Amino acid sequence: MTREAPLPKALLLLGVAGVLMAGSLGGSATDLWAQDDANPFATPMDRRAGETLFDRHCSRCHGLGATGGETGPDLTTGQFRHASTDTGLFSVITRGVPDTEMRPFRRASSDQDVWQLVTYLRSLSGGPRVEVPGDPSRGERLYRGKGECSSCHIMDGEGGRHGPDLSEIGSRRSPTDLRSDLVDPDERVQPAWWRMRVVHRDGTTVSGLRMNEGTYSVRILDDDSNLWSFMKRDLAERERIETSSMPSYAGELSDGELEDLIAFLYGLTRDEG
Amino acid sequence: MTKWYALLGLLLFAAPAAAVQGPGEDPRPGGTPAIAPSFNPVTAERLNNSDSEPHNWLTYSGNYASQRYSGLTQIHTRNAGELTLQWAHQLRILDRSETTPLVVDGVMYVTEAPATVIALDARTGSRYWRYAHGIEEDLDNFCCGRNNRGVAVLGDRLFMSTLDAHLVALDARNGNLLWDVEVADAHSGYSKTAAPLVVGDKVITGIAGGEFGIRGFVDAYDAKTGERVWRLYTIPGPGEPGNDTWAGDSWATGGAATWSTGSYDPELNLLYWGTGNPGPDWNGDVRLGDNLYSDAVLAINPDNGELQWYFQFTPHDVHDWDATQIPILADSRFDGQDRKLMLWPNRNAFFYVLDRETGEFLLGKPYAKQTWAKDELDESGHPVRIPGTFPSVEGNTVSPSIGGGSNWWSPSYSPRTDLLYVNAYDGETKYFIRDEEYVAGERFTGGGGETPLPADKYVSAIRAISPQTGDMEWEYPIQPRSTSGVLSTAGDLVFSGTVDGFFFALDALTGEERWYINLGSRVHSAPMSYMVDGKQYVSVAAGNVLFTFALPG
Repeated sequence: MTREAPLPKALLLLGVAGVLMAGSLGGSATDLWAQDDANPFATPMDRRAGETLFDRHCSRCHGLGATGGETGPDLTTGQFRHASTDTGLFSVITRGVPDTEMRPFRRASSDQDVWQLVTYLRSLSGGPRVEVPGDPSRGERLYRGKGECSSCHIMDGEGGRHGPDLSEIGSRRSPTDLRSDLVDPDERVQPAWWRMRVVHRDGTTVSGLRMNEGTYSVRILDDDSNLWSFMKRDLAERERIETSSMPSYAGELSDGELEDLIAFLYGLTRDEG
Repeated sequence: MTKWYALLGLLLFAAPAAAVQGPGEDPRPGGTPAIAPSFNPVTAERLNNSDSEPHNWLTYSGNYASQRYSGLTQIHTRNAGELTLQWAHQLRILDRSETTPLVVDGVMYVTEAPATVIALDARTGSRYWRYAHGIEEDLDNFCCGRNNRGVAVLGDRLFMSTLDAHLVALDARNGNLLWDVEVADAHSGYSKTAAPLVVGDKVITGIAGGEFGIRGFVDAYDAKTGERVWRLYTIPGPGEPGNDTWAGDSWATGGAATWSTGSYDPELNLLYWGTGNPGPDWNGDVRLGDNLYSDAVLAINPDNGELQWYFQFTPHDVHDWDATQIPILADSRFDGQDRKLMLWPNRNAFFYVLDRETGEFLLGKPYAKQTWAKDELDESGHPVRIPGTFPSVEGNTVSPSIGGGSNWWSPSYSPRTDLLYVNAYDGETKYFIRDEEYVAGERFTGGGGETPLPADKYVSAIRAISPQTGDMEWEYPIQPRSTSGVLSTAGDLVFSGTVDGFFFALDALTGEERWYINLGSRVHSAPMSYMVDGKQYVSVAAGNVLFTFALPG
């Protein structure tokens, strides 16, 4: 689809850059806007408008509140399969995802509708930025030292394999969420971080992250980071563990230390620049 | 399993499985097939007797009884493990495929989203022709994906529904467009995705749009001219019996779409079609009453479109549990008598057996997890609702899920095992109610739902159900949820698939696994089987690729 609408010069230049970057032909007005990194419709009122649009057009697949339906994934985790930036979300909404039911959102009367949807989706994780009391630099020392966080978590390309990437955790989780994650880790364990313990018919026992499981087989990253793939018919026992492998830090860290760690984690945000 | 037919099955397979031959395939001495052109016109007579040419697949569900059962026996329980990929056809449009191909004397007709037909050599997957119906780029007031599920054939013509609510006739030999009629206004939320059904000289077709406040109908068109012969509205108008089951003017936007393909009994000359949810889906407060004929099966005289009888599965539905399953017609024993039965694993999680001559309710039992009604239906087959199961402002968790105990994906019935095979889902949804104004062409659903737990907490299963008892004979669990249709064959195999891309074959008598393969993308269609040059094939679409399997050699 190519729209032949007259455009301001600055936008045209931006558009040319966008086409070059994307390697695609035929930019639409929508594409041009989408190259702009800042979401121009990000007020609380835009969020409300976005929620209304979402309920009407998106909730059939993604569920009301975007918590996931039978065909569309949960959009409240702050992590999106096909986009990481606001611009990327804009693009997914307007272009759809090939080979899925996610069609381009063409009911949008304007780009404003799409940005408002982005604002709404962003609001579902993390929420508006707030001031936090702790000291991030002390928090970072706890992260690398006493807390042993990096033994499981990766941040900026360094760390373990057995927990979520925390490089941008501050964009997805509010300070309250982060506190809950630290003191009550079993409260909210996404299926991607469930564990599995299996006993092969030859007696071998393997425990680790349940990377993927289907009708016939299961794949596990064990605690020594070995990759295993088992046919279920070869397993004498198998057990899915839906609690977190992370210990609770309640009692392990003082209140002050928790505040520092939260301040550090909350400062790990997405660079939209 | 101790049924007599289990023994019969074993006896039959003690002899070498006989391949069924079709027209143009008479083997010469030495087994070399005669050379004959592909495709012969499909007369109404051939459609009536399609079971006598099991090498072909002449209707969406395989025969008028919609059993999705193949009479071919070359592939059977003892050699299914040797199934091998023969060819794959990559669909050009990257939408998830929901197509069931037809096969007519060696030519396969496959549809592709949003409204395209491709004719292939069924032996190799090589293309004869491709027809693409133009769809407005911006058109998007349809529910649930840009889909097309297949074509119908009569004579040397194909008939296809299009996403923009047209019906087109094509030349089956080269794909030329013969006629194109608008069935309804796409901009008002009407759309078409299902394969039509040819009966006599008419093309019978339904309509989708139950989430857009449409008024549903079943239509018949003259196959030659494209002129509409009759229309039966699924919601009675003012002054007609049943209109008083809709409060106020709610009938006018009441949905009851007809978005899947029906069945036909030539002996009774009755056409059977399922109807969808009343609209708005989740807000029943604005349409008090039973909401006839939503969530029902209609028995229709195909000559004039007159309603002969109806059976409503879910009166005043508030959960979006369409009765748009494929009506399965089976001739079997019931209560010691030979009966003309209709088998219906409904989206509301109950399995129904009806007398298809009269619409009499014979049996109903849950076949998937349900929490909305007592497990025993009343004498007339109506559900006895459990109080407090309606959608609410705060949300109310009920089983089955919005997707239902099953949905549009075809079940199958094998006359050899006398079992119904259904892909059942034990899910749940938290249902919400919302106020919503009707705006033409906009979604009109009055609420929605969310899945309370991660998807990995719910499972599907292929379940084999006895029409005599409604009891489950066996089940084959699938993880995660499956949305694939089911094929059964005279080789006593049951084929189906999974959302993570597996395609599998089970023993129809026991449910034991015989073969599976990873096709790499979701099976969201139903398998079918055919034979060319003495070789049996099984085809299924996964992702946007059509895969075809056969035994080696």
